[in-house]
Amino acid sequence: MPFTADAAATQIQERLKNLYHLVHEIETHRVRSEHNLNNIMKSYEKVTPEDKVSPYYQQKLKNLNAAIGDSQQEEEILRKALGKINEIRAIRNERRIQARNAGNKETIRRGALMKMVLSTAQTLPLYVGKTPGAKPPPLCGAIPAEPTYIAKMGDMVAALVKGSEEEDWILAEVVQFNPTTNKYEVDDIDEEQKDRHILSRRRVVPLPLMRANPETDPHALFPKGSIVMALYPQTTCFYKAVVNQSPTTATEEYEVLFEDANYASGYSPPLNVAQRYVISIKESKKNKSQC
Amino acid sequence: MKNMSTEEGNRNSALQSLEETGQCVTSTSQHAGNSREPSTVRPQEQNSRQNNLQRIQQRKQQMLNLPQMKKILKIATYSACKVDDCKCIGWKNSQVITKSSKNDTQQPVINFFDPCKSCKHVLENHVSHLTNQSEEEINKLLCMVIDADNIFLGLQKEEDPDTKKVYFYLYKLLRKCIQSMTKPTIEGPLGQPPFERPSIAKAVMNFVAYKYGHLPQRDMQAMCDMAKMFLHCLNHWNFDPLSARRGTISVEEAPAYKINHTRWLVFCHIPAFCDSLPHYDTSLVFGRTFVQAVFKPVSRQLLDKCHSERDKLAPEKRVIVLTHFPKFLSMLEAEIYSDNSPIWDSDFKQVPPTYLQSALESKANQGRRTGEFEKVTVPPNDKDNYTTINISPGMKKIHEKRSHSEGRSDVKRRKNEETFEDLSEETVAEIVATINDPNYMCGPDAVFPPNVPRDETAKIEESRKIIEFHVVGNSLTQPVSKQTMLWLIGLHNVFSHQLPRMPKEYISQLVFDPKHKTLALIKDGRPIGGICFRMFPTQGFTEIVFCAVTSQEQVKGYGTHLMNMLKDYHIKNNILHFLTFADEFAIGYFKKQGFSKDIKLPRSMYQGYIKDYEGATLMHCELNAKIVYTEFTAVIRKQKEIIKKLIHQRQQEIQKVHPGLTCFKEGVRGIPVESIPGIRETGWKSYTQTRTRGVAKGTQGPEPMEACLDITDSLYNALKNVLNSVKNHSTAWPFLKPVDKNEVPDYYDHIKYPMDLKTMSDRLKARYYVTRRLFIADMTRIFTNCRLYNSPDTEYYRCANALEKYFQTRMKEIGFWDK
Repeated sequence: MPFTADAAATQIQERLKNLYHLVHEIETHRVRSEHNLNNIMKSYEKVTPEDKVSPYYQQKLKNLNAAIGDSQQEEEILRKALGKINEIRAIRNERRIQARNAGNKETIRRGALMKMVLSTAQTLPLYVGKTPGAKPPPLCGAIPAEPTYIAKMGDMVAALVKGSEEEDWILAEVVQFNPTTNKYEVDDIDEEQKDRHILSRRRVVPLPLMRANPETDPHALFPKGSIVMALYPQTTCFYKAVVNQSPTTATEEYEVLFEDANYASGYSPPLNVAQRYVISIKESKKNKSQC
Repeated sequence: MKNMSTEEGNRNSALQSLEETGQCVTSTSQHAGNSREPSTVRPQEQNSRQNNLQRIQQRKQQMLNLPQMKKILKIATYSACKVDDCKCIGWKNSQVITKSSKNDTQQPVINFFDPCKSCKHVLENHVSHLTNQSEEEINKLLCMVIDADNIFLGLQKEEDPDTKKVYFYLYKLLRKCIQSMTKPTIEGPLGQPPFERPSIAKAVMNFVAYKYGHLPQRDMQAMCDMAKMFLHCLNHWNFDPLSARRGTISVEEAPAYKINHTRWLVFCHIPAFCDSLPHYDTSLVFGRTFVQAVFKPVSRQLLDKCHSERDKLAPEKRVIVLTHFPKFLSMLEAEIYSDNSPIWDSDFKQVPPTYLQSALESKANQGRRTGEFEKVTVPPNDKDNYTTINISPGMKKIHEKRSHSEGRSDVKRRKNEETFEDLSEETVAEIVATINDPNYMCGPDAVFPPNVPRDETAKIEESRKIIEFHVVGNSLTQPVSKQTMLWLIGLHNVFSHQLPRMPKEYISQLVFDPKHKTLALIKDGRPIGGICFRMFPTQGFTEIVFCAVTSQEQVKGYGTHLMNMLKDYHIKNNILHFLTFADEFAIGYFKKQGFSKDIKLPRSMYQGYIKDYEGATLMHCELNAKIVYTEFTAVIRKQKEIIKKLIHQRQQEIQKVHPGLTCFKEGVRGIPVESIPGIRETGWKSYTQTRTRGVAKGTQGPEPMEACLDITDSLYNALKNVLNSVKNHSTAWPFLKPVDKNEVPDYYDHIKYPMDLKTMSDRLKARYYVTRRLFIADMTRIFTNCRLYNSPDTEYYRCANALEKYFQTRMKEIGFWDK
C-alpha cells in the first residue's frame, strides 16, 4: 500500500493515539488484577490453616475465578498494544522501502544508520507464549528458521558476500526471492556500498523476527560458550564470536567475545550485541580453513 | 639604516625614542635653510624629522613676525604680474642680494616701484591684490609661500620619479592657490581619506582588545602603550616609493602600493611639514592593504632600532621594548596577514576598555588638528563609502553617474539592511522560543526525524556526563597523576588497536613524549578515543599525530566532537593551523572535519617540524578564531530555523494569489521578472540583472524586453551549434530520436520523462530554450534516462557517458557551463 510521508505520519499518529488509550486501559486492568490478586492471597491465607474449605469460601473462591477472565482481558489488551507498536514498525519499514524504491533516497549518514540498526533490534517484538509451556516459533531468539523458510521482502538477513579479499557476512535486506533460480536478491544495508547481491539460499541467513524472553524461554537463547556469528558493534558485518553471557532479561543483550587477532588473547574484550544480531554460525569452507 | 635617526640627546622613553624613527622630511627644509639661513644650520644636526618640523614652524613664526612689507615682498615672488598681457608669474628682485654672515637676507631698499627682474614691471603690479587684504589673509598666503618653497626644494632633491611628480603636482597646486588666494584642496583620482575601513589604528586597537582583552588593566595598559607606540611610528614613518620596493612587492600588488604611496605623500607625509595642506594621520586613513604592504619592513626596522637603542632606554621601558614588543609585533603580524582575522572586521564588537577608547578618541582628535579637516571621523555606514581606486579621472564620473541613477535602489537596499538590523531582540527571542518549543516539531518531522548533526549524540552524552574530555600528557619535570598515566596507557591501547600499521613502540614513544599531548575521550572512566597532537607555538601550527576511536564506539559522532573540542582548545591557545599526514582511510574523516589537501601554510613553517610519513597525504585545516566549533552546527541550525521562521512570517504577511500571466499565450517570449505581479511585494531584488541573461539594465521600462530577445537570439545560435555537434558525435546514435514503443515495449513504463535529440531540436526551433539551463536540463535527462534504463555494461550506457562528457566540454568551451 503506497502512501506519502504525510499519510504515513497520520497513520502513525492514529496508532499512537490508540496506543495511548490502550496504555490507560492497561493501567485500569492492572489495578483490577492487582486487587484480585490481593483478594486471592487473603482468601488463601485464611483457607490454609483450616485445611478444609468451608462452603462459604468455596463460593468466594469461585467468584474469584472471574479474576482469571480479568487477567485474560489484560493480556488481550497488552497484546493489542504490542500489535499497535508492531504496526507502527511495519509502516515505518514500508515507508522506508518505498522511499528507497522511489530512488530519491537521501543517503542516510552512517551514524544514523547505526542508530537505526540498534533501535530496530531494541524494538524487535518480544515473543510471549499463549500458554506457559508453548514452544517458541522459529526465528524467535536463537531458534533457526525452518529449512524451507523464505525471508520476505524487506526482512533483514545476514548474507555471505564476496568482499575484496575474503567473504564477509554482511547485514543485508531482502529485495526479493526468485523461486525459479532459488536465489535471493539482497541489498547491502550500508548504503555507501550501494551493492546488490544475488545469492543462493545457502548464503542467506534470516535474522530473528522476535526476541525471546530469557525468563520464560531460556532455551530459545544461545547458552554461554556457544560459537555464534554476531554483528560487530557499530559495523554492518557479522564475525565469529563466543557467547560470554546470555541475556537475563528481555531487554538485555548478549555479551560476546569476538575473534580478533589484534588482541593478545585472540578475542576482543566483552562487547554487547542485541539478540537480533546473534545467529548460529554457518561455516563456509573458506572460513573454516582460516580458523 | 635610512629610516633611523641616530639623534643623541635626552630621549628617555621608548615611546619618544621611537617617535624619531621616521626619516626626516626629505630634508627639504634643511636645504631651504642652507640657502637662506646658513648661519642657523648647525652642522652636527642630523636629519631629524622632529627638528626639521620644529624649524619649519619656527621659521614660519619668524616670517609671520616680519613687517607687512616684507611679507608682501615674499608673496610677490609667487604673484603674477597684473599688467595686461604680461605673462610674468612672479616678481623677481633685480637687485643684487647682499649677504652678511650674521643677518638674514638684506633687502633694505625694496619698494613698490622696484622693477621685476623678469618682466620689468614694478613690484606694485605684482602685489596690487594684496594691499587691502587682512593680516590674517596675508599670513595664510605667506605660509603657503613658505610651503611652496619647501616643496620646491624637496622636488629638486627627490630622486624617485614618481615622488618627484607628486611634489611637482603639489607645488603647482600651491602656486595656483597663492595666485587665486584660495585654500588648497586635493581632488581627483586619488580619492579622499579615509581610504580603507577599518583603519589601521582601529584594527590595531581591535587586535589589542581581541588578544589581550582578558588581561588585567595594568598589563592591558602596557599592550595599549605598545599599540600606540606602533601607531605613532607608523604615522611618522617614511615609506619607500615603489621603485625602492621592487623586490619586495609583487607585480599584482604594485599598482595598489603605488596609489597608496602617492596618497600617503599627498595626505600624510608632505602636509606634515606643509601645514597649508590638509594633513591626515597614516594610521587613521589607511587600512589593511597598506599595512600589509609595509608591515614587514617596518616591523623589522623597528626591532633593529629597539635593539640598537636599548642602552638609551629607561630600564623599565627596556623590558617592554626588548621582550614584549617583538612578541607583540609578531602576533600583530599574524593577524594583519590573516585572511579572516576578526581585527579587520568592520563590525568588530569587542568593546575595548574605557581607557583604550579614550586613547583611540584622542588619536582621532589629533588627526583633525587644523580644525578644517573633518573627514577623519568615520561615517556610520562605511561600506558604501569605500573610496574606489580610480586611476583614470574619467571613470569617477561614470561612477558618479551610475550611483546617481541607482540612488533609489541603493537607498532601498540600505533601508532593508536597516530593518534587518532592527530585527528586535523580542522578535528573535520569540522565534527562538517557538523553535525551542517541543511542540513546534510536531508533524511528519517528529515521526521521521531529520538527519541530526554528526556530533549531536556526543554532545548530549557529554552534557549528561556519560563521556568526558581531557587533555593529558606525560611530563618529565613534574609529577604526573596516576589517573593521567592510566589514561595514557588506555589511549596507547586504543591507538595501537585502531592503527595496526603503526608499530606499537612508535605509538608509545609519541604518546608518552612530554611534548605531545592527547585529547582523551573518556567513557566509564576509560579512554575510548583520542587525538594525539603536538603543538608548535613558534610555527603557529599543531601536528595531529594519531586520531582514533575504538571500533565498537565508532560512528557515534565522537570523532567529530573530539576534533571540534581540539579546535576550540587551539583557538584558546592561539594556534590556528592543523596539519596532519592522513593515510588513505583517514582522508575521508579529515575532509569531513574541514581539512584540505591544499596546504595554505608556507612550507618553511612546517618543514623539519612535522613528522613526515611516506605514502600519507598532508592535510591542512585553518581555524577561524571567531567560531566556537563545538557549537557550530547548533548555531547554524538555529540560524536556519530563524530564517525559515522569518520567511514563513513574511509569507503570511504578503500572501496573495495573483491571476496567471497571459502574455506568453499572446506570443511574448520573455518578460522582466520585476513585472510579474506581486513579485516586488515579496522583497525581490533584481540582483541577477547582470547574470546569465546579461540583461544589463533591468530597472527601466521597455528596454529589457528587447534585451531579452537579443539575448535569446545569441543564445539560440550558441545552443544550435552545440546541439548540432552533439548530434554529429559518434556516440549520439542511440539518442537521435524517441525510443520506439514497439521495439522496446516496457521503456515507457520505466522512463516517465523521455527525451531525445530530435525533440530537443524541435524545442530549440520553437524557441523553448530561453535559458541555457533548460537546454542543459533536457540534455542531462537524455543521459540519466539512458543510465536508468540500461545497465552499466551496455553499449548504450557507455554512449551516454561519452556523449555527456562531450556535451559538457562543448558547453564549457562557450562558457555556458558553470558547475
